[in-house]
Amino acid sequence: MTERLKELESACKDYEEDLVLHYYGENSEADGKRVAEHLAACGRCRLFVDDLRRLLPQMAKSEEMPQSFWDSYYRETVAKLAEQEERKFWWRSWLVPAQGWLVPAFGTAGVVVLVIGLLFGKGNLDSFMERSPVKIPQEILVDSNQLEFFKSMDILESLDHLEQQDGTKSQPNSTTHTDRTRYYRGVA
Amino acid sequence: MKTRNSPVLVFALCLPLIAGRASAADDNWRNLSPKEKDRVQRNYQRWQSLPPRDKEHLREEWNRWQTLPQDQRDRLKQRYDDQRRDRRRD
Repeated sequence: MTERLKELESACKDYEEDLVLHYYGENSEADGKRVAEHLAACGRCRLFVDDLRRLLPQMAKSEEMPQSFWDSYYRETVAKLAEQEERKFWWRSWLVPAQGWLVPAFGTAGVVVLVIGLLFGKGNLDSFMERSPVKIPQEILVDSNQLEFFKSMDILESLDHLEQQDGTKSQPNSTTHTDRTRYYRGVA
Repeated sequence: MKTRNSPVLVFALCLPLIAGRASAADDNWRNLSPKEKDRVQRNYQRWQSLPPRDKEHLREEWNRWQTLPQDQRDRLKQRYDDQRRDRRRD
């Protein structure tokens, strides 16, 4: 190969570049004519062009690989790309089975957190925990009027009697008076 | 998918309502003094064992009590408290 390159160097210095372009057919028309005239007269440059014709195709020639090589190459490339992709989005594999219920689950969890926040957020965890030993229904706890009723129940039981003592007792309703008297006697 | 998530969605929408209701109940209960809480619990327990006729009577008394003027109610409350105190002293 070194010998060959030496032979290439033996072309006329002024024409060396133009000869390569001539070989590839990339000279302008005028240059092509000039180089052709020079080639007709110069044996060294003719040999140089012959060497180019002989050597350059060999240099550009690639080794023919068997089909099995390309098949294996393709498989390896695909596997490497998949591995790289998987490494990049490793967390997605956790989400794939959960995609169906992930959004509603997160929504529900959010609402539950909100509810817990509402219940405990007022800094009254103690009072929340301090539930009554007697289970009072929510309907009563929600209704302040009902709570007031149970708070005043003692007085209501003695209301008749208290009013009589106070001297403010209005003429009792005839239908309920007996009941009241009977009830008062019952609880007093 | 839509159908499968519907109960979850309904539950999620109802939760704030339930929480709001629970929160209101808590507020009412929290605002009571320990003595008042004790009285409410005791009276509620007693109320549950009362015959319907007595319950009705108490409801009537409650309606009447609410129509009484404020000064009269204060007076009657005061009298009731005094009598209880006296009873305890005896």
